[in-house]
Amino acid sequence: MMQSQIVSRPRYRDLAAEDTAGAHLLIVEGDTLAAGQMAALATAFAVVAERLQTWLVSAPATALAPGRVRRLHTVEEARTALEHIEDGFGIADRLYLQGTEPFMWSLATAAGRAGLSPTQIRMQHAGSLKRRVWCTHCHQTTENVTTNIATCAGCARALLVRDHFSRRLGAFMGVMVDAEVPGEVPQREEVFR
Amino acid sequence: MIGDTLELIVVAVDDIASSLRHVRLAAADGGPLPPAAAGANIQLRLQGAARTWRNAYSLISPPGRRDAYEIIVRRVPESRGGSAFVHEVLKPGDRLVASWPSNLFAPQRTARHHLMIAGGIGITPFLSYVADFAHSGASHALHVCCRESETGTFAPWLQACGELHHYWDADGHRLDIPALLARQPAGTHLYVCGPAALNDEVIQAAANAGWPASHVHCEHFGAALSGGTPFTAFLSRSGIEVEVGESESLLEAIERVGAAAPCLCRGGACGVCVTRVLEGEPEHRDHYLGAAEREGGELIMPCVSRARSTRLVLDL
Repeated sequence: MMQSQIVSRPRYRDLAAEDTAGAHLLIVEGDTLAAGQMAALATAFAVVAERLQTWLVSAPATALAPGRVRRLHTVEEARTALEHIEDGFGIADRLYLQGTEPFMWSLATAAGRAGLSPTQIRMQHAGSLKRRVWCTHCHQTTENVTTNIATCAGCARALLVRDHFSRRLGAFMGVMVDAEVPGEVPQREEVFR
Repeated sequence: MIGDTLELIVVAVDDIASSLRHVRLAAADGGPLPPAAAGANIQLRLQGAARTWRNAYSLISPPGRRDAYEIIVRRVPESRGGSAFVHEVLKPGDRLVASWPSNLFAPQRTARHHLMIAGGIGITPFLSYVADFAHSGASHALHVCCRESETGTFAPWLQACGELHHYWDADGHRLDIPALLARQPAGTHLYVCGPAALNDEVIQAAANAGWPASHVHCEHFGAALSGGTPFTAFLSRSGIEVEVGESESLLEAIERVGAAAPCLCRGGACGVCVTRVLEGEPEHRDHYLGAAEREGGELIMPCVSRARSTRLVLDL
């Protein structure tokens, strides 16, 4: 499910610090942390440890992290903090994200509004494959979708969840699955666990 | 004015400094010219007594202007003759054939701030940038490295420029490139146009500081570097052999014998003239081919590149 022939489907790779002179911000979705993952991140970010800040979002209180650590409760809190970062971002800064796709893209789109270029953002997927789905009919988004067909939170249509992805919206495309033959909805399967 | 080329007439020539000539060109038929955006250039065919030069010049007229094109030409002592022709021969009333405007150095529309670094005559594309930014209100800063005596030369085109700084080669007046690049906000796009040494230094400093390559843009003026040791080129498809002289480019030699060779920028940047090499070793001077393609030795950009071997066989 992380690979697709649809070219807009993002690909993720293991995070590695880029030794640039700017500030480095790592944001980790805490409840996706697996054993040993933080140790791997600490190693991967050792070169920029001096300039690193790590935000742990919804992480267990005992979780350790490299760099200066800030604890946040929700992704919304992290998004607000990103948008109001003091003095803004610099051109040599880097943002690293680890977590589910809805988590990472909520923050990546917020960082984009704060001026960060996509070429300054790195992402590593962790945790659930759940998707945020954007309805092409009513333009509302449906969160936490784990099935191939989902009911739109906006218009209640049965949506076929596509691999087509919008970086602007941070969401996958959902199209009415029974548009041709009303009522003919295939079996739902949990494919994005 | 539909066609592959434009017929232009020289309206005025003015020397704005000892080695800088401002040339104003209009359509020979008196009609409107094709509009061009900031950063565009035109290629002029300069017909000398013994030879023809095709040189590309940045348009400094405000973007979108259709009544005239303006260029500024620096006379280069070691020039291959094109700039000397403009300075010595060109006069009002002369007719010239030119390409349509092309643009390989347009400003990035999504930028939150435009940071420009100019070296010498490399300021010319930025004169149209400044007009564009003044019109759109885009945030910008222009840093000009030039001779101390020329800090005011371009003032008429910089009236509307926002942040403007001049630097020259004296203690306390040199541009500290790493310091400038270290403190720029996210969303900044960097543009550099100047001599190769300045371009390289700025690009390297940006990479060292951690600028994403997507935010660093450069325009080289490469045509002046296209001369060198003479060699022979054999055009296998047309069966023509041509001697490439020391002051002409491979592309110019190919054009001289009448072979068809598509081209656009004539500075090794756009990739239009890319040609297959069947025999011989190219000496790459372009900014288009990647490292692997260079080492492969099967492609050459004839507008600036030459030969290491005494003979090149081209698929032309």
